Amino acid sequence: MLPNYYQFFSPIKILSGSKAVSNIPYEMGLLGCKRAMVVTDKGVAGAGLIEIIKSAFADSDRQIGFIFDEVPPDSSNRIANKLAKLFEKEQCDCFIAVGGGSAMDTAKGANIVISEKSDDLLKLQGAENIKADLKPMIAVPTTAGTGSEVTKAAVIYNEEANCKMSFVSDKLYPTMAVLDPAMTATMPPKITATTGMDALTHAMEAYTCLQKNPVSDVFAKGAIELIRKYLVRATENGKDEEARLGMANAALMAGVAFSNSMVGACHSLAHATGGACHVPHGLANAIFLPWVLEYNSDKVPEYVAELSGVLGGAVDYLEAKDQAMVTVTLVRNLLVRLNQISGMPIRLRDAGVTEDKLPTIAKLTINDGSLILNPKEVSYDDALAILKKAF
Amino acid sequence: MECTTQKGACPLRSLPFYPVIQSKAKFMLVDTMMLFLGSAFEVASKYVPELKAEMADWNDGRRFALGVLPDGPSITLEKRGDLVKFLGLGVQEPHVAFFFKNLDAAVPVFVGLNSTHNGFAQGKIMIQGNLAYAMEVNRTMTLVLAYLFPIFAFKHLFKAPPKLGVLGLINKAKVYMTLVPQAVMNLIAIMKK
Repeated sequence: MLPNYYQFFSPIKILSGSKAVSNIPYEMGLLGCKRAMVVTDKGVAGAGLIEIIKSAFADSDRQIGFIFDEVPPDSSNRIANKLAKLFEKEQCDCFIAVGGGSAMDTAKGANIVISEKSDDLLKLQGAENIKADLKPMIAVPTTAGTGSEVTKAAVIYNEEANCKMSFVSDKLYPTMAVLDPAMTATMPPKITATTGMDALTHAMEAYTCLQKNPVSDVFAKGAIELIRKYLVRATENGKDEEARLGMANAALMAGVAFSNSMVGACHSLAHATGGACHVPHGLANAIFLPWVLEYNSDKVPEYVAELSGVLGGAVDYLEAKDQAMVTVTLVRNLLVRLNQISGMPIRLRDAGVTEDKLPTIAKLTINDGSLILNPKEVSYDDALAILKKAF
Repeated sequence: MECTTQKGACPLRSLPFYPVIQSKAKFMLVDTMMLFLGSAFEVASKYVPELKAEMADWNDGRRFALGVLPDGPSITLEKRGDLVKFLGLGVQEPHVAFFFKNLDAAVPVFVGLNSTHNGFAQGKIMIQGNLAYAMEVNRTMTLVLAYLFPIFAFKHLFKAPPKLGVLGLINKAKVYMTLVPQAVMNLIAIMKK
């Protein structure tokens, strides 16, 4: 159904393919930048991926001004503030974020502090609080899932309040996304599986939530098709360059889709589970996805049903509700397959969540902003019921 | 609303200064409805146990605002004890604010022709400030609207239409009976300022 009104915005230049990172210095020139601050974490640096970036600068007059490799798994306001100070001290003029969601969100956080001329990121949390134009940011994902390279959001841990803060603004879109299969080739099978399921969740929630629109639908379905084709392949064989590039594109397309149509209850539950029990975001999304699709199926059966075709399981002459359950079954089958290949947990109890934490997670879930666009209302009791099923 | 303005009221368009009249009329309508909504929050916080329960965990002094961009009507409310206090017109340093992007986005919501969740989905309402607070305010807004709008409009306005029950209907009657006097008191307070 065509919405009465919708908006779509995705102002990111995309470079995709083998040796795509070699173009970064040239693209910096087009942006008028000379000295980049590379933001990454120890894992990425240890895997030798920063050497690939450095080699791209070998014959260029553009420079890497500083390599900041201290981004923790859950980046914090303290780290972002520290990075902002370093950026100014080192006289850099753009960011190159190399990593998963945490590295990119840290760069976004520091970028906010610098551009808003603030002394603390905490003062700018929330939606639409950023007024200044940000410094150019080139995003080089090393996982295929978060979609942070094309989204207008950042999630950063608040060390004082012990919770995750959301930043949402059209100013937060990176300038460029660089997808190079060499940057994801070293990702272990379990991380490949969980981040891939994160991308699938983005695409499926983008397709079923209230803010869906015809343009975001195209990106969501395109992402799901690529995930169906490449996720198992990439998990089984990390050196499969075609599968890696396919998954990088899937994550990007899912990111474009959900940045414009937003996500729903699955993400609310995943954010809450991450906050309360430190379950990785992609893994939590993977566990909740079938349960949330099932929960939403009686409200938007036709949308959930339509996805069965993209997942390769369309069955003729079924009512929408029955076809929707085919979609749910296909997602469950995919989870079981990924569990067999990579050992990725598919239940909360196997992901380190204890039953006594479920009420706390349910309480956090109903205060998560993603819930507002879920097609079906989710009360505390509803959230707790889904959690118990997923446990 | 679009039908009325685009078809039924077409002859009005030939009136001199019609766009100005139309714009003023929308402004006054939203301004008046915001006064009633703010007053409804005050009276509902006295009589509705679900609203009290929802706000029980809120810190005292938490402020939230509702307004229309760029310079449309706006109101600010504050939690005081277990009640909500209408602070008057204008955006007064809220912890979270809900803004309609223009009057045309606000009018259908205030006359019950569009739901708030559709407003969000269509990008016609934006949130400024703390998102967790916004979710809490949104739930209280849903409760207040359930006590403000007639039951036949519920299916159209809510994702899950609230079930009021006998006690709920009695409380709804209390809200209706005290709403107008409360709105008049608030109007007098605004005029005194």
